[in-house]
Amino acid sequence: MAHDTGLDVIEDAMEESLPIQEIEKDRAIEYPLLPDREGHDVSPEVTLMLRRSMRTQHESYATLVWRKFRKSKIAIVGGLIVLSLFIMAIFADFFSPYDPVRLNMSEGFIPPTQLHFVDETGQFHIRPFVYKRVQVLNADMTATWTDDTKVRYPINFFVPGWEYKLFGLIPMNIHLYGVAGDATIYLLGTDRFGRDMYGRSCLAGRISLTMALFGTLISVAVGSIVGVFSGYYGGAVDNWTQRFVEFVQSFPQLPLWMALAAIIPITWDQFAVFVTMSIIFALLSWTLLAREVRGKVLALRETDFVLAAQEMGASDRRIMFAHLLPNTLSHIIVVLTLTIPTIILAESFLSFLGIGIQEPLVSWGTMMRDAQTLQTLGFNPWIASSVFFIIAAVLGFNFLGDGLRRCGSHTMSMSGAGALLTKTRERRLHS
Amino acid sequence: MLAYILRRILASIPLLIGISIVSFIIIQLPPGDFATTYEQQLISQANMSPKDAAKAADGYRALYGLDKPVWQQYLIWIKGIVTEGKFGYSFAYKKDVGELIAERLPRTLFLALSAHFISTFFGLIIGIYSATHKYSLGDNLATVLAFIGTAVPRFFLALVLVYLMVVEWNYPYIGRYTSPQFAFQPMSMDKFVDILRYAWPVIIIAGLGGIARNMRVMRGNLLDNLNAQYVTTARAKGLRENTVIYKHAVPNALHPIIMYQGTVLPYMIQGELEAAIVLNMPTLAPMFYSSLAIQDIYVSGGFLMIYAILLVAGNLIADILLAIVDPRIRFGMSANVSAPG
Repeated sequence: MAHDTGLDVIEDAMEESLPIQEIEKDRAIEYPLLPDREGHDVSPEVTLMLRRSMRTQHESYATLVWRKFRKSKIAIVGGLIVLSLFIMAIFADFFSPYDPVRLNMSEGFIPPTQLHFVDETGQFHIRPFVYKRVQVLNADMTATWTDDTKVRYPINFFVPGWEYKLFGLIPMNIHLYGVAGDATIYLLGTDRFGRDMYGRSCLAGRISLTMALFGTLISVAVGSIVGVFSGYYGGAVDNWTQRFVEFVQSFPQLPLWMALAAIIPITWDQFAVFVTMSIIFALLSWTLLAREVRGKVLALRETDFVLAAQEMGASDRRIMFAHLLPNTLSHIIVVLTLTIPTIILAESFLSFLGIGIQEPLVSWGTMMRDAQTLQTLGFNPWIASSVFFIIAAVLGFNFLGDGLRRCGSHTMSMSGAGALLTKTRERRLHS
Repeated sequence: MLAYILRRILASIPLLIGISIVSFIIIQLPPGDFATTYEQQLISQANMSPKDAAKAADGYRALYGLDKPVWQQYLIWIKGIVTEGKFGYSFAYKKDVGELIAERLPRTLFLALSAHFISTFFGLIIGIYSATHKYSLGDNLATVLAFIGTAVPRFFLALVLVYLMVVEWNYPYIGRYTSPQFAFQPMSMDKFVDILRYAWPVIIIAGLGGIARNMRVMRGNLLDNLNAQYVTTARAKGLRENTVIYKHAVPNALHPIIMYQGTVLPYMIQGELEAAIVLNMPTLAPMFYSSLAIQDIYVSGGFLMIYAILLVAGNLIADILLAIVDPRIRFGMSANVSAPG
């Protein structure tokens, strides 16, 4: 095992071609210099290495990953995007100043409210404000929404508004922002029925994100179990499992998803549709992970710790799920974060077409259904604004997965297992 | 080599049989069949009494074998495909599905392969540029664009393009595959140009994600190869940098790209599917979509089959290509090519 040598610091230094003290300069300063055998102080670099080697033995896997994760800017950005989307989805009611499911026909297709800092007279206000929207009749009898600049309506934060239940339990009426009086604030405009697009996008995130997450979790569960069995037992079990995986992989994903989603009867209740759709997405997504986990387990099977566990009489089940599976965690997490965006994109397309998720369930895809009519889209381009949530979610998860893959593969090489270690080592030796 | 190819083709036959069974089961799953739709039409549009309509529907079922047990229907379906190239009868189009496929499959293939071509071509070029100009402005820009290219839903891109073409540009070449005057003409240069006028949005949308993926894979592999010892040796020999890159590093970085070809084709076909449905391009895609809604089961099933066959064929071609460039695979040794990320 390599993790007691402090090699990772050197490896980092080699990879990023930076001197050690620059990588963890601030840390190096914290440490008092250690004496060597003759009692002389050794250099800060060696001190750091020794300190690190003492420390790494006690570091948990999570700490190890977190240390790598913190260094990857792209993973941090991705993580923040994902986190904020989840917060907006969980507290959707708090983020929407108006009830996102209440119809308000008189306020249909209002363009996004503009936030102002400078008023008509050119005076600057530190608190952003909005103007009231009024409908004016044009000469050709069409109506357009314009700002009534006579009165300023400053934006208030943590304002009481419509009643909702936080987590479905705690009755509340506080919202993040709002305007007083008869002015309205629609950050992303309103849809055909006068519902706030921003509030609805937050609400839609609940379905879009949980469905992707739920589908991915199912596929991760199936994929890792199949992968561990296939890799651990090997031989005929492995052979047949792999043939089956290939079989599932030969199905065209999107057309099959469309065909399966189209079967769901429209009479089913919302929850059943939601669960079924998640399962449909999971059905074709588990194979990638099954292969990854299998490959990893095949390599791990031959290592000493598995042999030791076997010698001590651990059952196959214990070896597979207590020893092997935790060691494939880095792969599982990476595949998980990369499967989610695929499902988000597929779900949005199916919902856009009107197969699968239907009203009154609202997802980012169903919100874009109105945009199918060119005229509607042309006059009210903001009705497609939920696409930005889709893009943000996909980007966020991709960034996260990409960053995790980089730090994941590195921690794996430190835990000293498998082909990846040998490969990295070989490459390092050659380079 | 021939033995390897034969072995691979034989191995894909049970795969296709399995796929056909699953496709058939899926299209049979929903309650009712096309005769049910027909029955309702007779009642609502032809003012037939429910009893007469039910009788007519039963006659319809008997005529097209919908009253037989499912496994018999399946065997008849498969027999038709294998022996006569007939994929069953499309109730909506009153034609054999095989004819519909023969008409539309070449279009889908043309669009998907064109998208494939541009995604490989531009993906490789940008990937090589990015790897050789690591962390430069161009590299960073390409990386950011690649991320965005895979994140924007393709149906949304298609929607934006339709809007621009119809409303902003008054672009007349939309919603068809060729202009009417070329419809029954044999292929010519003029017709090809005409097709491109209609096809370019679909090709670009389907290809965009592929460009991004190829670029990222190429960049990663080339960077790995540029750090390898043989490149240092080549440089130490005093070779020109261009020779080092294009004669030594690039060919070696291509292996994973070739291995990856099998998975790129279905990606392109899915892209074509999304774009063609929104742009209403008469390829397999919109017909597949509409057949799902009206339970035109042989169209759904046949098209599902065709998509699966394309996928299997794509993998097969990729395997063969890889065997050509990598003798280790040909002789049954395990290939040590790292999987593309």
